[in-house]
Amino acid sequence: MFRDAYRQRWRQWLNRRIPPARAVQLNQRRIFILPTPRGLAFSVVLLLMLLAGINYQNSLAYGLTFLLLSVFHTAMLHTYRNLSGLMIKAAGVAPVFVGEQARFQLRLESRGKVHEAIACGWPPAPLQIADVPAEGQALLEIPLAASRRGWLRAERLRVESRFPLGLLVAWSWVDLDQAVLVYPQPLPGDLPLAAQVGLEDEDEGQRIVGRGADDFQGLRTFQPGDSRRRLDWKAYSRGQGLLVKDFAQLAGRDLWLDFSSLGGDVEARLSLLCHWVLTLDQRQQAFGLNLPGSRLEPATGAAHREACLKALALFGSASA
Amino acid sequence: MRNKLDACLQAVNQVVLGKAPQVQLAMACLLARGHLLIEDLPGMGKTTLSHTLAKVLGLSFQRIQFTSDLLPGDILGTSVFDKESGQFTFHPGPIFAELVLADEINRATPKSQSALLEAMEEGQVTIEGATRPLPEPFFVIATQNPVTQSGTFALPESQLDRFLMRLSLGYPAHAAEKALLQGQGRRAMLSRQEPLLSHRELAELQQLVEQVHASDALIDYVLRLVEATRSQPQFAWGLSPRAALGLLNAARAWALLANREYVIPEDVQAVLPAVAGHRLRERADPSGHGGSALVQWLLREVPAL
Amino acid sequence: MTPAIPRISLIWLLVAQALVILPHLAHLPLWFTGLWAFCAAWRLQIFRMRARYPNGLAKAALILATAAGVFWSRGGLIGLEAGTALLMATFVLKLVEMRTQRDALVLIYLGFFAVVTAYLLDSEMLSALYSVLPVTALLAAMVGLQQSRLAMQPWPTLRYAGKLLLQSLPLMLLLFVFFPRLGPLWSLPQPGSKGISGLAESMTPGDIANLGRSPEPVFRASFEGATPPRSELYWRALTLEHFDGRRWSQTPDLPVLATDSWQAQGQNLSYSILMQPSLQRWLFALDTARTDLPGARQLSDYRLVNVSPVEQPLLYRVSSWPQVVRDPELRPTQQRRALQLPAGNPRARELAAELKARYARPEQLVAALLTRFNQGEYFYTLKPPTLSGDTVDAFLFDSRRGFCAHYAGAATFVLRAAGIPARVVAGYQGGEFNRQGGYVQVHQFDAHAWVEYWLPERGWQRVDPTFAVAPERIEQGLEAALAEEGSFLEDSPLSPLRYRDVALLNQLRLAWDNLNYGWQRWVLGYQSEQQLGLLQRWFGEWDIQRLVIVLGGGGVLLGLLMALLLLKPWQQRLDAQQRVYRRFERLLARHGVARRPGEGARDYARRAALVLPQQARQIEGFAECFEVQRYAGIASDKGQLAQQLRALRRALPWRLSRLDDGETTR
Repeated sequence: MFRDAYRQRWRQWLNRRIPPARAVQLNQRRIFILPTPRGLAFSVVLLLMLLAGINYQNSLAYGLTFLLLSVFHTAMLHTYRNLSGLMIKAAGVAPVFVGEQARFQLRLESRGKVHEAIACGWPPAPLQIADVPAEGQALLEIPLAASRRGWLRAERLRVESRFPLGLLVAWSWVDLDQAVLVYPQPLPGDLPLAAQVGLEDEDEGQRIVGRGADDFQGLRTFQPGDSRRRLDWKAYSRGQGLLVKDFAQLAGRDLWLDFSSLGGDVEARLSLLCHWVLTLDQRQQAFGLNLPGSRLEPATGAAHREACLKALALFGSASA
Repeated sequence: MRNKLDACLQAVNQVVLGKAPQVQLAMACLLARGHLLIEDLPGMGKTTLSHTLAKVLGLSFQRIQFTSDLLPGDILGTSVFDKESGQFTFHPGPIFAELVLADEINRATPKSQSALLEAMEEGQVTIEGATRPLPEPFFVIATQNPVTQSGTFALPESQLDRFLMRLSLGYPAHAAEKALLQGQGRRAMLSRQEPLLSHRELAELQQLVEQVHASDALIDYVLRLVEATRSQPQFAWGLSPRAALGLLNAARAWALLANREYVIPEDVQAVLPAVAGHRLRERADPSGHGGSALVQWLLREVPAL
Repeated sequence: MTPAIPRISLIWLLVAQALVILPHLAHLPLWFTGLWAFCAAWRLQIFRMRARYPNGLAKAALILATAAGVFWSRGGLIGLEAGTALLMATFVLKLVEMRTQRDALVLIYLGFFAVVTAYLLDSEMLSALYSVLPVTALLAAMVGLQQSRLAMQPWPTLRYAGKLLLQSLPLMLLLFVFFPRLGPLWSLPQPGSKGISGLAESMTPGDIANLGRSPEPVFRASFEGATPPRSELYWRALTLEHFDGRRWSQTPDLPVLATDSWQAQGQNLSYSILMQPSLQRWLFALDTARTDLPGARQLSDYRLVNVSPVEQPLLYRVSSWPQVVRDPELRPTQQRRALQLPAGNPRARELAAELKARYARPEQLVAALLTRFNQGEYFYTLKPPTLSGDTVDAFLFDSRRGFCAHYAGAATFVLRAAGIPARVVAGYQGGEFNRQGGYVQVHQFDAHAWVEYWLPERGWQRVDPTFAVAPERIEQGLEAALAEEGSFLEDSPLSPLRYRDVALLNQLRLAWDNLNYGWQRWVLGYQSEQQLGLLQRWFGEWDIQRLVIVLGGGGVLLGLLMALLLLKPWQQRLDAQQRVYRRFERLLARHGVARRPGEGARDYARRAALVLPQQARQIEGFAECFEVQRYAGIASDKGQLAQQLRALRRALPWRLSRLDDGETTR
């Protein structure tokens, strides 16, 4: 109870201090610094050394103690400096399916000085470490497990540095305002008959929806079995790989993936639909998606696939 | 001078209906001494736009229809043996005009394409060892069909970079199309159109563009944009320094058209889709396109201030 | 689970370990070197994947064997020597089982502590300078533990460590000078005696001759004002009153002299003495001395003693009044002690009786005795023949060759036999003048013995029979006195003191000695009194309040200075316009209009004006002003922008927290 309230307050305070943004530059308002356990152990060692200096009346022991104490102080400035001025930018994230790891891309940019051993991540997962050269940048990919479909909003990211001695840790919590779309987990299964009008046709081998000779549809990657005559040699010579000119035959009836025609609970149905969206897309087959509340007309191509997957991912959520 | 510019824009807009933004961009492109690439389906008014611009600005106009059997000589000109004088005389090709419309440039072979593009870049033509300067001013408006149409030779990236802007006219809006259908023939209107600018005035305007102030802060913004294209993973490659320079010049021209003596980030943003769209490719998409999505990303994500 | 140790860190750790152990080797048993080599070799093999980490059994065996080794060679596991040996053994053994970063860190911390123990054993200037090396290497190992770009490069890592150290120096100096020095909190085992040679509680004549061969430094004295001539420099250490026929020894349990038992008289000499450890309690001083050293006392024979044996270099200040009359009256016990004689030596007694008969006044008798030494065939030598039986007789009448102790002992015997209270005083005489440093350096070979005899009313009088035999010993030093014999420091052929006639070498030696003196006085001797003295000289008075002000204020000042130098805040990216604009943005964000990153000032203002139509004029006014200032290249004053912002602030309703931005940004 108290804990939650405390967390809430802490979050609000952080939001005021480090408002969410796509790019955050660390400055003194945003950097916190404290000794690490190593630093505490170091101070215990210093205390022992001081005691030796006092009890043996040994000036050199005093001297070394003070020197190391000053080093501690200098290290504090160095640690702080190592983090300050660092620019952290969200560099995008590709949508994933439930059960996969979303890989958030981060870009660390230097605005003049070197930033050594910068660690980023979401605790308790281990942080990723990168060095940022002067005026340069470093790219980091930080995985986050996607366990629920829909928008997965990344939490505040911990950015820390223990350089140079590991005695102190300077850190910040930045919110890069990043979110990733998590598609339902594709689960193979059969489509019920009602939805299989198009598939039956394919089985009969009469009309192949999605492939034909009528209309140039675009290019797609070569698959064994494709006709050589349709190879796009020009594209190949440009180094774009083996592509096949795809000509679509306009199907008499469109294939519809219909949510309401399926059984099972909502998630299972979405998973099945997701599987079929992927499968049909791979077959270059035109299909439409019918969800309660939204309807995507039959089409093919990457854009259509993304639109369908997005609709599935956001099904039932407010921002759909 | 400013009023004349407005009058020019108005005149062009009377002929080319419902395309005011594109007209303004095209004008900015010409003022920034850049060449223009118009990508559209046939019949969208590409030729009309070019022709109108030439008329209004008082430029001599030539049209080269690119076909697969077009030879470089057809563009640049050839030397012909003159029986009377017993000498070779040079017959200048259509490129020796102040505004050249290179229609359907992607129908011609790369060899012919590059003849035009080299002339564009260097401002002169070298034929049989003799170098002949092109007229001043010299604009090329090239048009091409969408790349996916068959029987075309897509311009390679290096050639695309030589066009300052790429525009797409698109279908006219309902009202504009109605006016088009109701109104008189465009050709008749064109023939009646008087030049509104003299060569001297055009040169002055181009100089004015160069004098438009671009502050440090603004140049930093342009640099941020360019750097983003070079460092972000989704870009297959970054913008060239020539593109950066072109972007700044186009933004200057845009600012002049908006009657301002200095450039603001909004000017850069206004010309960015036209300037950068044809130069960018999405890494994940090998077949081209994706440029406009990337430009949108740039507009959204690169800090403007 | 901490990650593995980077290679560079391991390399620096091995280097640092070697550097840390090196000065310890002299104080550690021989087998330790073997243990170290064994462990280092094992570690290297582990690194080269040719050996495995020790298992539990091997570890236990190693630990037990090492502990047994320490117990066997140090006679126990307690005490500084044994403790150091154990620490070093741990330091070496840990190397083998070092697996994770935490282990490496333990090793580094042990290393720092081992450096401190090296200071306890040896705090010479060179050793201290040397210790910078292991400390730097240890820091480099620490830097190397960080998973940074540096973890691949050895030299930059070292450079970084050096940079850290250099940048830490100012604060370290501040702390060193001002941090209050406390007395020992509890007593700890002290470094054991290393057989320091020097004066002893008792002496046979040969003892001092042995000291005469040693070039070891004993103490240094700096005079405030002119240094007296060397013939006046009789540094008293102890008095030897009891004679058993062979050996002179001091009276045990002498009473302490009350501070008011004598009055200062005549001119005084002020000087400070920096004494090397002697493991004895007595202090050195000229007659008649008082010191401000806490706990030091003066015994009834006018010598000074410390509370405890001097085990660390000791600095104390002394004032001496040479003209003070000491003991105008002698108590019977004192008289008895000063006249005590064992049986034997008939010829010496005979000589005494003869002299007594001839000279009524003791001064005359003493003068006659000195004349005898001067005129007779007496020789001053470091190599006297061995005497047996009645040693005084044998010396006085047969061998006639001896060192100062022979002459002092014989003279005292004769005086006592003649009924004059007398005693032998042992100490040092003269010393080497270091003109550069303005101090007197006294070596062991300056050890000397002389005689004091007592006169009623005039008290104790000093007389030096050696002066009668070899005046050059007193006026120029031992070397001159032994010039013919050539025996000066013949056992120490490498001692630079032997080459004093090579001018350059001698100058170098004196300069080096001077440097060491400064080191001992100002660094090693910088303890409570020295610190208080210095601070009082600088600040007049010195109290806790001032300490807090100077230490705290100085620390903060230095910290700020360092921060400024390191962080260079003047290189801030945001200029004044941008700062004002950020305030503008924050203000509007609180009212629900946050700027998108890609949004320019004009677009943002337009959008904000739509959301806040009542303040549209002010918002657009500000944006226009900003635009002109930022992009038009027209110089205008910054105040104008701030003014526009204030106008907008006034126009907006007051709101503290951020309104939720209605739109989603994605």
